[in-house]
Amino acid sequence: MSRGWVASRFRRLGAENVVPVVSFGLVLAYYLLTPALNGHEPTDFDVYNTLQGFSSLGLVALAVGLTIIAGEFDLSVLGMQALGGVLAVKAGGTHGLLGVLAAVAACAFLGAIQGTLIARLRLQSMAVTLGGYIALLGLTNVIAGNETLTYTNTDASIWINRTVLTFFSPRSLVALAIFPLAAILFTRTRLGPELKALGGDRRSSRVVGIPVDRRLAALFAVSAGLSACAGAMLAYSNASAQLNPGVQPLVLAVSGVVLGGVSMLGGRGRIWGLFLGALAVALLEQVFAVSKLPGSTTQIVFGVLLLTVVVIDAPDLRWMLVRMRARRLSPPQSPPLAKSKR
Amino acid sequence: MRVALGRLGGAVFRGYSSPGIFGLLGAVAGLALLVLALSTDRFLTVDNLKAILSSASIVGIMALGLTFVTLIGSLVSLAVGATAVMGAMIFVAELKLGLVPALGIAVVSAALVTALQGAIIGGWQANPVILTIGAAFLINGATDKASGGVVHPTGGGYATLNSTPLGIPLGVFVMVALALLLQYVLRRTVFGRQVMLIGENRLAARAAGIRVTRVTLLAFAIAGAAFALGGAFLGAFNQSASSQLEGTVTFDAIAAVLVGGTLITGGRGSALRTLAGAIVIAAISDVLLLRGFETGAETLFKGALVVAVVVGNHLASGGRESNP
Repeated sequence: MSRGWVASRFRRLGAENVVPVVSFGLVLAYYLLTPALNGHEPTDFDVYNTLQGFSSLGLVALAVGLTIIAGEFDLSVLGMQALGGVLAVKAGGTHGLLGVLAAVAACAFLGAIQGTLIARLRLQSMAVTLGGYIALLGLTNVIAGNETLTYTNTDASIWINRTVLTFFSPRSLVALAIFPLAAILFTRTRLGPELKALGGDRRSSRVVGIPVDRRLAALFAVSAGLSACAGAMLAYSNASAQLNPGVQPLVLAVSGVVLGGVSMLGGRGRIWGLFLGALAVALLEQVFAVSKLPGSTTQIVFGVLLLTVVVIDAPDLRWMLVRMRARRLSPPQSPPLAKSKR
Repeated sequence: MRVALGRLGGAVFRGYSSPGIFGLLGAVAGLALLVLALSTDRFLTVDNLKAILSSASIVGIMALGLTFVTLIGSLVSLAVGATAVMGAMIFVAELKLGLVPALGIAVVSAALVTALQGAIIGGWQANPVILTIGAAFLINGATDKASGGVVHPTGGGYATLNSTPLGIPLGVFVMVALALLLQYVLRRTVFGRQVMLIGENRLAARAAGIRVTRVTLLAFAIAGAAFALGGAFLGAFNQSASSQLEGTVTFDAIAAVLVGGTLITGGRGSALRTLAGAIVIAAISDVLLLRGFETGAETLFKGALVVAVVVGNHLASGGRESNP
């Protein structure tokens, strides 16, 4: 009786609304319990640091999340992040803002090229962005001269990490400001429904007159720009640009996306969900940091998390459960048609 | 070698049905690369050709396994490097039992771990990219925890893997033999045909009564075995195993499969193409390094090549709208 009630409530509210709230709530509860678990008292600095982590992770999660909602996958965010950092350090020697703008513009341009290729030629975005990722890492190395770049503009480095109102910094405020902006564009204009339509049924989107090719090109440009912004701010914050960020940022970002209630199948997801999901992951990282857990434990936790979510999200598992329930309730019927993607 | 390279260059871009304009473009591109290679000082020396083959071998072995993942329509595995490191660690740790048991344990355990991923992907159609990223993280964390970071061998059994019969590293022989074996499996066995059909059209395969889950599981098991085999060579070469070995092998293996011309969406491609892809990438890296380019430029070129081949191949195969 009560299980049925929970299930029906869950269906009515929708996974994209329930998942982010529940995951953020769980992580928050875990954080508030850490004093009892290992004696670490919550501090203002925890909040500050979580938001610092969020300012990179959140933007990359937003970038990847938007492409996933539209039924694509942008692997090149890692490369864009690295390139963005190096470009910002190179161009922002005297004016920090100039460096960020240059990095975002250059990466958005490269992203638009990728997106145009994917849209016009109807290519698999995974394959193109994988090549793009490898090429971008190479380009980053070439531009940086194969060595880690130090950012000598210390004023900008200090300014971007400056504490504002106890909990914030200019860096995290930028990231926090981008989300409401994205949410307004997503809900108040046609862009949101159009992106979801692209992810839900590509062919129908073309038929109903959505300019699919232009939307995809813009989408990959936005994704690249967001990642570049994250990379640029990270480089300023660390006073040096990493040439190869590894795959960890992608794993954290994808974790944020799935905790944000975005379906890997495309067509479902919300901006505030992505926000809460990324915030949950950033907070979880902070909890791991103050608990002094070894890196391998963190890896195992995020690995298990991704595996669990991706299995729950698997379409054929869902059909299997639906079929099992249907068989219990009524005689077997013809199997459901698989969802056509484009 | 000259003829072989020319063929490889053409094969990279060649369409599956008719060569057409893209075959021509591919041939021109291949020819340009060939001229570049042959005009490079010290390229056409026996030692250099051996160096190319040997640098292709370890990634090549893993890429051959990965070909099965791609052909069956599961895009790629991003757990190649993690599984290889796991294989290397198990291999190095179990060397106390002797070379063959160590190799066997490493290969079987990696095959099991990867087969499990295949079962979930094949049976429930879970997103292979996210699933394998998660698996890679889990495997990395677990191997790190179990090993404490680095594993050193007890005994010198690994030396066999570093031997050079006829002056060529053993890994090269293994790579070529594995390519021939897997090509035979793909072309001449029922299992191979089933892999191709599932990659081409999963629903049709299911409707035709093929046990999709079981075949996907097997394909992934082969892939995992190959990752661990490559990892064992990696561990033997470095005379120890740690997560440092992972490097860029995941993306190198994917690049080899794609540059070979196997369609990312599955159903079309072969083990021999991947062999060619691995050798072409190694040859290009070699040329660039001989001409004094830094590794950054080499990586840039590798990425651009992947994009070019994906685009060319897609157009040559008719440019159908692919399923993401």
